[in-house]
Amino acid sequence: MSPRVIGANLVVRIKTFSREKSAMFFTIAFPIILILVFGTIFMHQDDMSFDLYVQDLDQTNASAQLVKTLELNGRFKITKVAPAINATQYAKDNKLNLVLVIPKGYAGSLLLRMMLNDNTSVTITSIYNPSSTSVSTKMQVLNSVFGVMNQRMSGKSPFIRSVGTSILNKKYRFIEFFVPGIIAMTVMTSSLSGAVNVNAELRQKGVIRKLSTTPITRTDWILSNILYQFILAVLSTIAILLVSYAVFNVILQINAWLLVFIVLEVFAFAGIGMILTRVAKEAESAVAAANVIMFPMMFLSGSFFPLEMMPGFLQTFARILPLYYVNEGLRASMVFVDHMTALRFSAIIGVFATVVFIVGILTSKWEEASDSTVPPSCHYSRILSLCHYRLACSDAGCSHRSHFQVQRLAISTAFAPGRGLREVLGAQVSTIHPKKVNTLFPDQSGASGSVSDRINRKE
Amino acid sequence: MAREADQAIEVETLTKRYGDFLAVNDVSFNVRKGGVFAFLGPNGAGKTTTVEIIETIRTPTSGKVRLLGMDVTKKKRDIVPRIGVLPQEFSSFDRITVRETIQYYSRLFCCRNTDVDGLIELANLKDKSQEQFKNLSGGLKQRLGIAIALVNDPEVVFLDEPTTGLDPRARREVWKVLLGLKKKGKTVFLTTHYMEEAELLADTVAIISKGKIVAMGSPDALIESNANYLGLTLKSVDENVFGIVRKMGFAPVQDNHNGITVRVEHTDDVHKVLNAIKDAGASFLGLDVRKPNLEEVFLKLTGEALREGPAEGVPE
Repeated sequence: MSPRVIGANLVVRIKTFSREKSAMFFTIAFPIILILVFGTIFMHQDDMSFDLYVQDLDQTNASAQLVKTLELNGRFKITKVAPAINATQYAKDNKLNLVLVIPKGYAGSLLLRMMLNDNTSVTITSIYNPSSTSVSTKMQVLNSVFGVMNQRMSGKSPFIRSVGTSILNKKYRFIEFFVPGIIAMTVMTSSLSGAVNVNAELRQKGVIRKLSTTPITRTDWILSNILYQFILAVLSTIAILLVSYAVFNVILQINAWLLVFIVLEVFAFAGIGMILTRVAKEAESAVAAANVIMFPMMFLSGSFFPLEMMPGFLQTFARILPLYYVNEGLRASMVFVDHMTALRFSAIIGVFATVVFIVGILTSKWEEASDSTVPPSCHYSRILSLCHYRLACSDAGCSHRSHFQVQRLAISTAFAPGRGLREVLGAQVSTIHPKKVNTLFPDQSGASGSVSDRINRKE
Repeated sequence: MAREADQAIEVETLTKRYGDFLAVNDVSFNVRKGGVFAFLGPNGAGKTTTVEIIETIRTPTSGKVRLLGMDVTKKKRDIVPRIGVLPQEFSSFDRITVRETIQYYSRLFCCRNTDVDGLIELANLKDKSQEQFKNLSGGLKQRLGIAIALVNDPEVVFLDEPTTGLDPRARREVWKVLLGLKKKGKTVFLTTHYMEEAELLADTVAIISKGKIVAMGSPDALIESNANYLGLTLKSVDENVFGIVRKMGFAPVQDNHNGITVRVEHTDDVHKVLNAIKDAGASFLGLDVRKPNLEEVFLKLTGEALREGPAEGVPE
């Protein structure tokens, strides 16, 4: 291990980061945008009110009083529907999920009940759309309002009263649960895709090959990458905390657990990234594999919404996702200040990180060329886009063929009838001189409709 | 042994297989210290495989390779600080400038004070030193790669196809840098499939084909021993010239510009042919007598063309 080498790598990585606008965006700006968007959406979640459409067919003081009572409840914004209208049709036309209809004779029934104290009742019809998601909540609130009214009319005081005692010292808002999830998610994406990108891209470009002819060791390389990912993670965490404080006045406990979880998470996901780059040979497929791992994890491990919202089997599934333990661990330390839970979850993620990281180190080969089973001529093709080359290579088992044959095969693979070669190969074809194509396809050169003619025609 | 100390590279019965494919087949050669040694051969001949084995980044299937007297499979740590490598298709960090890249690589080697400005000067990159790597043209990238291969003041420099894919002008620029390097007296191991490059730069050329070295020696000696003839080309000849030359016992080849090419043994033969044409009263407009080059040597030795079709650096 050499601090000089690690330092040199860090300098290069940080310079690259500061000069790469898209990297800056995804690491710093993207989580902040998420915070702003979700924070704004759920800002008034606790005093949410519903729209309620009421058609009063009775048109008496008593029915007006009922509407007033509903309005005073505070949960409803009442819109009146004219009595002449067909309420069902009205609901359909205006895409309303609930219209309440107060029947004609409401006042009369009420009077009978009050005066005679008999069992006269009145039926208020709800015209609703059962496929709407918010309608059931709305109807529950309505029924509880009606329940209270019925109970009052009976003239007796309620038997069961409920009093709530919060288990928290303070009432927490949604945003306060959300911020630790965003921190966990950001650290995951930056360390996983960071590890995948740097290794896959630099390997594909041959930078790793060059590095393997210098005294830098694999340990130096891995350590400097981890250190770099850690610096990025701390940077984006600070940005997230500052913005959520400035905009939503979110104040969370910041203690050593935050650092512990960030370090463990960086190791865990950088380790996964190292394994992926080893398993997937090409940069693109490694990136795709990283996305396959990241996206479901983001949504299923409770970064964005509480696990209780998901069906039971998904909740069980979430408990095998490493990100779940980071999410809940961070919440335990930053929101609930529950050190025992934080300790338990950090132990779980710590074991996971250790295992994954060791496997990552064991599977990643620094001297990538030395165990290569493919001759160098297969690696270096400046003729064709890599994917076509690869296709031809794997089809032909390119070790058995000369470079020339593979090139020829690659061109014919890419060449679909009716389409110009330039079109198929994109910009890569500019490196193929028409003469070259003709030498690759001697049987076609000179003939009308030769490959080069067809290239040129498309230009 | 004193003789062995003169050798920078010793390769003995080196073989490398990829699956069933035999990339390097029982190759042996030595490279003396100082001077430029070129590996000349077409793509897929086994050049890069051999070079990367010597550079310690590939492992041989069998055989012995010693670099500066050290076994390449065992002494990687000792060898690496003493060599400089320009890998095939050199590439570096996109967003890092020329100067920063040289500084980075010099930090990877030990505390030696690298003369960054001297390297920038040598690679002729002075006015590009603040340019990011991704903005460099192919030729500039290769020149930067050569500068980087020299950051540790290596004893042996490996240049794997330094000019492949460059246009002719960029290629000449790289050659200028390489000639400067040659003047400094370093041992240079060059692979190429351009014989102009080998003829211009190399003191010794090894011709490799299908994993085997088919000939080795100085460019002149190779031409002398394998292609000891002259090519006489006559342009815009009369129709009967072809017949005249054939009657003399030569095998003229007609080209489609109304010219013929004859291969002759000696300058005397040139005179004979010209006199015969003159005597017959036939005429020609142009005359060209050419010594064969390495390409013809290669053709003769391997029966295959050195390059596949026209040069990859396509004319602009």
